[in-house]
Amino acid sequence: MAYADGELSGAERVEFERLLESREDLRRVVARERELAVLGRLAAGPEPMDAEWRALEQDHVHRAGLGVGLTLVLGGLALGAASLLYLLWSAALPLALQAGATATVVGTAVLLLRALRARLRTRPLDPYTGVRR
Amino acid sequence: MIVVTTDSIPGRQVVATLGFVRGNTVRAAHAGEDAAAWLKNMVGGEIEEYTKLLAESREQALDRMIAEARARGADAVVGLRFESCEIAGGCAELLAYGTAVKLA
Repeated sequence: MAYADGELSGAERVEFERLLESREDLRRVVARERELAVLGRLAAGPEPMDAEWRALEQDHVHRAGLGVGLTLVLGGLALGAASLLYLLWSAALPLALQAGATATVVGTAVLLLRALRARLRTRPLDPYTGVRR
Repeated sequence: MIVVTTDSIPGRQVVATLGFVRGNTVRAAHAGEDAAAWLKNMVGGEIEEYTKLLAESREQALDRMIAEARARGADAVVGLRFESCEIAGGCAELLAYGTAVKLA
């Protein structure tokens, strides 16, 4: 693609970039072209341990360990946060303290979800996620 | 676009120096990768999550530098260098810079 390869003239580039602003399909094509260009310049061959890592990723015990571990950690964190909020509201504490702590927890969760939403929207257009080393 | 770490390109003549070009980025691994990296740190060996993070940053910084050189009408970038520093824990900041030149 001429644009991704930097082969367009100044006026053509400006015109294409104007099109990019409004065309999601074009943005995805450019991102894909850039991803291929980046991967293409990584010329080093595979390393001996690569095959073992791929085998581990397919290994049922290894995969199950990841799933069980993540579920326990995330579940534990959610349960811990819920318990803290319950303790906070069931204890005889000043209302301002209860409201402030709850607002902090909820606000942090909202900001985290906002950051996550932005990352999920931009990730398909990030041509560097396929780079491994 | 030719990009080299040397100050000249053998067999090619530099006819104009267009100036300093650079590209930088700061990237982070997500919390899951940080947790995996922390666990791998305890058992040793390569931490692939951070190898990948650094490689992503290197390529993005390089692309941004090349984009600036292209915008200036350069044929090549000579004297390429990389700089890295830590802005925040778990983040990789990479700065790629060099001199954009026009070739005969």
